Amino acid sequence: MKQHSNPLNRRTFLSNNGVAVGSAALTSMLATDSKAANKVNAGARTDVPHHLAKAKRVIFLCMAGGPSHLETFDYKPELDRLNGKPMPASYTEGQPIAQLQGKELKCQGHLTKFTKHGQSGQLISDYLPFHQKMADDICVIRSMVTEQINHDPAHTFMNTGTAISGRPSMGSWVTYGLGSESENLPGFVVLTSVGGRNPQPIASRQWSAGFLPSRYQGVEFSGSGQPVNYVDAPQGVQARQQQRLIETIGQLNQHRLKSTGDPEIETRLANYEMAFRMQTSVPDLTDVSDEPQHILDMYGAKPGDGSYASNCLLARRLAERGVRFIQLYHRGWDHHGGLEKYMDICCGLTDRATWALLTDLKRRDMLKDTLIIWGGEFGRTPMFQGKGGAGRDHHIKGFSMWMAGGGIKPGQSYGATDDLGYHAVDDVVHVRDMHATMLHQLGINHHNFTHKFQGLDMKLTGVEPARVIEPIIA
Amino acid sequence: MRGFVPIIILLLTFAAGTHAHAGDELSFNRDIRPILSDTCFFCHGPDAEHREADLRLDVEEFAKQDAIEAGNASTSELIARITSGDPDELMPPPESGKHLNQKQINLLKRWVNEGAIYEPHWSYVDPKPKPTPRTNSAWARDPVDDHILAKLPKTLLPPSPDSPRHTLIRRVTFDLTGLPPTQQQIEAFVGDTSPMAYQKAVDLLLASPAYGERMATYWLDLVRYADTVGYHGDQDHNISPYRDYVIDSFNDDLPLDEFTRQQLAGDLVKDPTPNEQIATGYNRLLQTTHEGGLQPKEYLAIYAADRIRNVSAVWMGATVGCAQCHDHKYDPYSTKDFYSMVAFFADIDEQQHFKVGTNSLPTKRPPEISVGSRWQRELAAEIESTLKTLQSKLENADPAQVSMIKNQIGANQEQLKQLKASNRLTMVTQSVAPREIRVLPRGNWLDDSGPIVAPAIPEFLGTLDVDGNRATRLDLANWIVDVDNGIGGLTARVFVNRFWYLLFGRGISPSLGDFGGQGQPPNHPEMLDQLALDFIEDDWSIKRMMRRLVLSRSYQQASDTTDTQLREDPYNQWFGRQARYRLPAEMVRDNVLSVSDLLVRTVGGSSVKPSQPTGYYRHLNFPKRVYAPHLDQRQYQRGVYVHWQRQFLHPMLKALDAPSREECTAQRARSNTPLEALVMLNDPAMINAAVAFAAALLKIEAEAPEAKIRRAFELTVSRQPDSFELSALSRLLESEIKHYRSQPEDAAKLLNTIDKNIEIESVNPQQLAAWTTLTRALLNLQETVTRY
Repeated sequence: MKQHSNPLNRRTFLSNNGVAVGSAALTSMLATDSKAANKVNAGARTDVPHHLAKAKRVIFLCMAGGPSHLETFDYKPELDRLNGKPMPASYTEGQPIAQLQGKELKCQGHLTKFTKHGQSGQLISDYLPFHQKMADDICVIRSMVTEQINHDPAHTFMNTGTAISGRPSMGSWVTYGLGSESENLPGFVVLTSVGGRNPQPIASRQWSAGFLPSRYQGVEFSGSGQPVNYVDAPQGVQARQQQRLIETIGQLNQHRLKSTGDPEIETRLANYEMAFRMQTSVPDLTDVSDEPQHILDMYGAKPGDGSYASNCLLARRLAERGVRFIQLYHRGWDHHGGLEKYMDICCGLTDRATWALLTDLKRRDMLKDTLIIWGGEFGRTPMFQGKGGAGRDHHIKGFSMWMAGGGIKPGQSYGATDDLGYHAVDDVVHVRDMHATMLHQLGINHHNFTHKFQGLDMKLTGVEPARVIEPIIA
Repeated sequence: MRGFVPIIILLLTFAAGTHAHAGDELSFNRDIRPILSDTCFFCHGPDAEHREADLRLDVEEFAKQDAIEAGNASTSELIARITSGDPDELMPPPESGKHLNQKQINLLKRWVNEGAIYEPHWSYVDPKPKPTPRTNSAWARDPVDDHILAKLPKTLLPPSPDSPRHTLIRRVTFDLTGLPPTQQQIEAFVGDTSPMAYQKAVDLLLASPAYGERMATYWLDLVRYADTVGYHGDQDHNISPYRDYVIDSFNDDLPLDEFTRQQLAGDLVKDPTPNEQIATGYNRLLQTTHEGGLQPKEYLAIYAADRIRNVSAVWMGATVGCAQCHDHKYDPYSTKDFYSMVAFFADIDEQQHFKVGTNSLPTKRPPEISVGSRWQRELAAEIESTLKTLQSKLENADPAQVSMIKNQIGANQEQLKQLKASNRLTMVTQSVAPREIRVLPRGNWLDDSGPIVAPAIPEFLGTLDVDGNRATRLDLANWIVDVDNGIGGLTARVFVNRFWYLLFGRGISPSLGDFGGQGQPPNHPEMLDQLALDFIEDDWSIKRMMRRLVLSRSYQQASDTTDTQLREDPYNQWFGRQARYRLPAEMVRDNVLSVSDLLVRTVGGSSVKPSQPTGYYRHLNFPKRVYAPHLDQRQYQRGVYVHWQRQFLHPMLKALDAPSREECTAQRARSNTPLEALVMLNDPAMINAAVAFAAALLKIEAEAPEAKIRRAFELTVSRQPDSFELSALSRLLESEIKHYRSQPEDAAKLLNTIDKNIEIESVNPQQLAAWTTLTRALLNLQETVTRY
């Protein structure tokens, strides 16, 4: 194809996106113009990376519903000691509380055992035998805090840094900045899986591009039916017909370009070509028949079952194909009651596959530049809740997440909650700090990574202070 | 290298929106404020809490006390600091990520040397009449044309030629009705050479009910209208009569001031009509939740902020929502202003749905009223009055007539019953005792230490005269549209700017939702003011304003671009040409349905559900969702009626940038993505329309294929194809015919998927399948989805 004959192509595209453009962003966009040509997955910025990137891509494993930190990574002997006793009011007074509002607050000791693992001796619960094997690969952050106590806004907060709707998700920010290495697949892909407790809903705003150009929105792949909406050619239309159709559309549009000088046409040509490529690249991605049996077994994946395990395998395949941001959702972690039963189910569905993903990437020497992040939208209370057996309520003042690969120091834990696992007290990590660290590993200074919207320099990390967690960086 | 030339020129022209050239007079609002606002006000602006060094540069008095010596740049601390070589001294601090370029520094120096003259921010100053520039040009037909012509840079003169007539009729039909012109409309206009032809066409379009539907689509974006609650379970809520109210209001040309009052406070007028009650659904359009474990107090704070963001964005072009946690960084809105505005809405009953909200479809969101469509209400009123007459007749009737009158009464009652059976519920506002509103320190809803506030307008804009009474939503609405004692002039400016945007693809100020310090000021401020004043003078008539603008010469310019235009004015900020852009999602849909003659023109009613991919709602829960598409005529109603699921907007609409309507959208994105291409190529609804279109063509007997292609082409893009286009399409058709002749089973597969109500039995299936590829090609052209 002809190299980018019209320099206004991308600029017009961007200026038409309804976003006022500040001088700094404009400079970078104009610079992009000359080199990005019609690459449909190019980023919008040339000022990034700001520094040498240690991670090329992110795989975000979202354990939706809010897994209990007290049954996974955060061991508190004192909580066991106070099991069944009233929760000291000094912890809970004036704190936001979800379903336990107005109820009697009792301590709930750990519902499982913790043991030390690996050279690092990280404490990991018995619910996660495969995580125990990864003790020396992951960095557990035990001092996370967030600001939203209900699922929907908490997800929005985790993904966009604010509970206000209409802001871009982190995957959109990252692809907006860096683009994607794949020319056949979207730069930001979302996979959701089935299983667990009655799952909380999850809204597409979680992968929205917000006020960023919509090409940076997450594209959800489905585990069953068409993997991407409308990716299949209509019934009774063969690939070569579809190709001829797209060629004719292209010829007519090119012809039109001559008389109108409309540079949007070139973008459209490229998009139609990408759409056509997706008709083969997407099935090629989801068809795992080229994977040896031992790999399928390692993940516990059964092709086409839409499980978390299958999605983990797809995540690796997406990573191999240059997709920038891959987000997996496993719902069902909302354990207000029957926690032991449901932890068995959720961990059974995710523990092994998570280990397989990390291990597989490591064997392929891809872990070093793939940043894996694991965690829910919040944690769970040290207090008992009993909706059908012992459980725990939503909790935002202290919970655990982990990061691995992509230049993160492996085999360590960072931060701590208090004696009862209620408040994060040491080296508190706010969601914003996690975002700042993630961007840092991708070579982006969160502070300077802004986009003008409604006259404001918007950024993923917002207006409140955010810091890169230096001690966890290798 | 040639490609770099325009880039350099652009940089010079656009650096921080500075337009001043040496020799030009400096304008504070145009040249200086944007620089100060962008690089200084964050720390030295209205926000007291985060102000550094106790210095504020947004207020002349303080700035001149501390940092500026008017007339002397060399002794002014401001200039010393922005030019300092010491990184510890330099402003803005390097770590802020902000940076002043040399041109900006020179401008600031020049401004200080020339006396550092401040001006009040343009949007807070009432519009004032100024003489229209005299261009003495035969080109100009309306004062706006004189404004455009007078400002058009020399390199861009003359303005673009008039559009070809077929382009103009297509453009104005989309702009005013959201639909393509029909064959008859095109012929009537193109064939009518009288000077009144265009005006006649415009008046017909404005009189069409489609006008209201088109305008409503934009309004519904502003007020974030949707069919679902938005949060958590995203259940349906009852609100479609509000949408119909908006359509009716535009069609009736309800003046904007009255439209405003009805929506914000229709319940507070004496004896509100059903229309006024329905209008108050506006206050209920925000996202709500009844998620288990919610804390009502937290959501009251979230709802309050949602409302203020919306009211201020829609009517004031302001981002007052920023003052929820801190004083606004750039505009003079304080946190107290924010919560004082919240207090206007403290009488809206938010408590009920926390208690009675259910995981049902629809959920419960009282208060709601049951109403019919307007025609149903009107007919019901007629019947009721007939019944009254009959009743009184009955009382005085002689015995011979009694049974006949009774029969008539019975028949009328039956009719009334039937009419009311199709009533719909709709959420409304009913005032309750206002809850206490406190300033929430740092926006923290757990903190009750802030002072209690009464309803009040932002302090810097004055106070409401309410005789010591508590100000109400009605007072707020009146103030918003009051030209003499309120911000009516500013409101008018916000709206005429948006009407202009709807017709020129870009606002006179490109910031449609932010007229504050960080918005881009208008390039034609005098024209904006003139239009605002005329709008008020003309009784806030939106229809007449739209009419006037489309009759202007500026509007009728061609949108084709020359190299010079692309180089000198890539964003078309001087309006020396018309704009071209991808049609909004609903218009793309309506266009396809219209061309394929499937469009159903029923105005109003419940929301409609066209087909969508199976399992698209699989992540919704409470309750689990099964999408039952409407398989009857409803699927072919206009896009404005499509069920708006906030969390999972219909994928076709979404791929074409329709917003989720979680927040105010004054300006939609106009993207161009592979996902859009997939929709246009493969969405079964597109294929369905393409088959219907092809079938209609084939049913026209005794017409040669070439004539059919010509017809189809013109139906799709309102013009005749040239020889290149004709031969490309003919080649495609030939190869498709060949394919389906050899593979008839493919034709059967294709046709098996379409709506059984579309009559295709009379058409040869192989021909139909082949022609479907041709119509698909047409529906996928850039030209088809573009407004030129």
